[in-house]
Amino acid sequence: MSRMQVPVKPSAMSRALARDRLGVPAVLFFVLAGVAPLTVAAGVIPSAYATTGLTGIPAAFLVIAVILALFAAGYVAMTRHITNAGAFYAFIARGLGHPAGVAAALVALLAYTFLQVGLYGAFGPNAQAEAAAHLHLHAAWWVWALAAWAIVTVLGLARVDITGKVLGVLLSAEVIVIMAETSWGLIRPDGGHLSFATLSPSALVSAGFSTFGVLAVVAVLGFVGFEQAPVLAEEARNSRRTIPVATYVALSVIAVVYAGASWAMAAHAGTAHVVTAAGAEGPGLLFGMGAGWLSQTAQVLFLTSLFAAALSFHNCVWRYIYALGREGVLPAALGRTGANSIPKAASLTQSATGLATIAIFALGGWPPMTDLFFWLGTTGGFGILLLLAATSAAVIAFFARNPHGESAWRRLIAPALAAVLLTGIVVLAVLHYDTLLGVAPGSPAAWLLPAGYAVMAVAGLGWALVLQLRRPQVYATIGLGAHAVTGQITPRRVES
Amino acid sequence: MHDPSASRGRGQPAPGPRQFRSPVNAGLAGTGRVADDLYLMAHHDLTGKPLLQPRPLGLGLAGGLLAELMLGGSIGLRYDGAMLADRSWPADDLARRVRDQIAAELVPRPLTEWLAYLARTAAPDVAARLERAGYLTRVRDWVPWRPGRLIPADPDWAFGPLLRVRSALDRSRRFDPREAVLTGLAVACGLRYRLDQYTAPAGRSIEEATGYLGAGPRELIARTQAAVDSALLSHRT
Repeated sequence: MSRMQVPVKPSAMSRALARDRLGVPAVLFFVLAGVAPLTVAAGVIPSAYATTGLTGIPAAFLVIAVILALFAAGYVAMTRHITNAGAFYAFIARGLGHPAGVAAALVALLAYTFLQVGLYGAFGPNAQAEAAAHLHLHAAWWVWALAAWAIVTVLGLARVDITGKVLGVLLSAEVIVIMAETSWGLIRPDGGHLSFATLSPSALVSAGFSTFGVLAVVAVLGFVGFEQAPVLAEEARNSRRTIPVATYVALSVIAVVYAGASWAMAAHAGTAHVVTAAGAEGPGLLFGMGAGWLSQTAQVLFLTSLFAAALSFHNCVWRYIYALGREGVLPAALGRTGANSIPKAASLTQSATGLATIAIFALGGWPPMTDLFFWLGTTGGFGILLLLAATSAAVIAFFARNPHGESAWRRLIAPALAAVLLTGIVVLAVLHYDTLLGVAPGSPAAWLLPAGYAVMAVAGLGWALVLQLRRPQVYATIGLGAHAVTGQITPRRVES
Repeated sequence: MHDPSASRGRGQPAPGPRQFRSPVNAGLAGTGRVADDLYLMAHHDLTGKPLLQPRPLGLGLAGGLLAELMLGGSIGLRYDGAMLADRSWPADDLARRVRDQIAAELVPRPLTEWLAYLARTAAPDVAARLERAGYLTRVRDWVPWRPGRLIPADPDWAFGPLLRVRSALDRSRRFDPREAVLTGLAVACGLRYRLDQYTAPAGRSIEEATGYLGAGPRELIARTQAAVDSALLSHRT
């Protein structure tokens, strides 16, 4: 007699837990809310055109989207098999070893910190211009930057669900404005003829093959935030579907929005004139494509977008600090919460970094939009690029020890392709960092900024070895984040 | 499955020094239940406002409810982390209901799922239990149709749990597993800053106090801590 399998009805407990889980829309919303698209569309893209002198930015967004999709295949597969999946260093620790994990953690801290503090360099001058034009208030850029810093500091100490709602409202408005500006730009191209030149693959290498690395760093900067979907992996309704779908949809939306906006800017200004126009107009390169009210709305939303991005990266940095504090890699005080469950020490540490940076640039008299916003922002993007390449290698190493039932495409082929392509981009970017920053070859900034990551990586390796010798219990839990206290290395989930 | 730290009996509090049975002293002694003490610690002594965000509070109280059952021998932790119910029923209605829910599951569920499940309703359930016991009282809201909020009936009674935690960290006092579990869960859900305000600097460390507990309660405290941290890191507090 054959055995019959009787389907087991989900219990009341299963149903209740499943109701609390997040579906694709909620995870997607979380990812896109942290991306702050207008910051890239009006801030990064015009600055990139002006600083690098390269016009292949639209094509770069599309190519990088494909490369990141390859990366995501292995990345989301590994998410299912590790805890603390919201942090690159967790992947690298599990795949390449704990010393590499600590090195990656410090590199990530530096990268996200650059991304966060750099935003004050855009907020300050733009707020200064808006306030002078519309409110007749005149103050230095750093005064406005400090005001934004103060609000970020206060909100960073507030209930995190409040800040999530604020980000959500801003996201919707920004996407609508970018799409409207893009549409206006495309229906009014330079010379009355819509050019696809900047979308062509040849635009990527029009100034030489090696400058593709420069364009790639700019494009990666635009996609920063897509990697946050696994932060909600343990809260997702269906771990095999929710995170991958949200990640790929986020990649697609970001690629279409940014490629479209950058293409529209080049088409509207003219491919031969976009670099000059970007240098003269800055964010006005996007704003100027639309009608008066649209342009004005976009300028206001640009300020809120910069602020939202600063807040989002602030949350990202304190999350890293808090997780490392919980593990014991950083001082334990950074892994504690105060009243109302606020991680005060971690949040204030990040705030102190921002304050110091604004003060240094204000006292140094350096141009904030170029030196603070674009230089630190793109260097932050370069750091993310390093982490993406290392994570691809970690995915391969992790599944090489145990396939965990994942397909060859997810555990080997896609991450291998991504690792090769991303590593190649890193090498090209390092060789042409002067082009990325728009400085003369041999300029100190062109090697000092990327060298910062080498310093952090070496420091991380050294600290990991110290932990191994002096605090082996802490060493053993590197990469586990919230689960360091239990030593749990694989997630347990309720699947609906 | 039997947890050595529950050897004292079925839900009976640790025998402490002899106390006079006045209403004030009875209130200061608390209900003898871990979740009740944790609730009072996690709310302001006077206004009753929560000192934690909803999810960490819920997870901590869920841990408290499970700790009561564990210390009373009504439930235990299997080698793989699944919770199993024993053939003993606690006297308290809420604790009995939780015990019966655990027993009713056809497939034993891991501790982490019970924490997540119970966290959804633990705060109002424990608050209702404290209100019935006279430790919380409802005051009218200025808006007529609102149910009103719960505040401590006596601020000194509400402060009592902090004294019990202080006792757990006092080297001159005998080890009490209930006080140690309360201490561990308080730290796990984010109340360490309160403990630091009111406990003596010298004495047992928190890790030392909870280190004397059996494997089951220690695992419960660790899982509660991990759940609270996960909620914080995923912005679902």
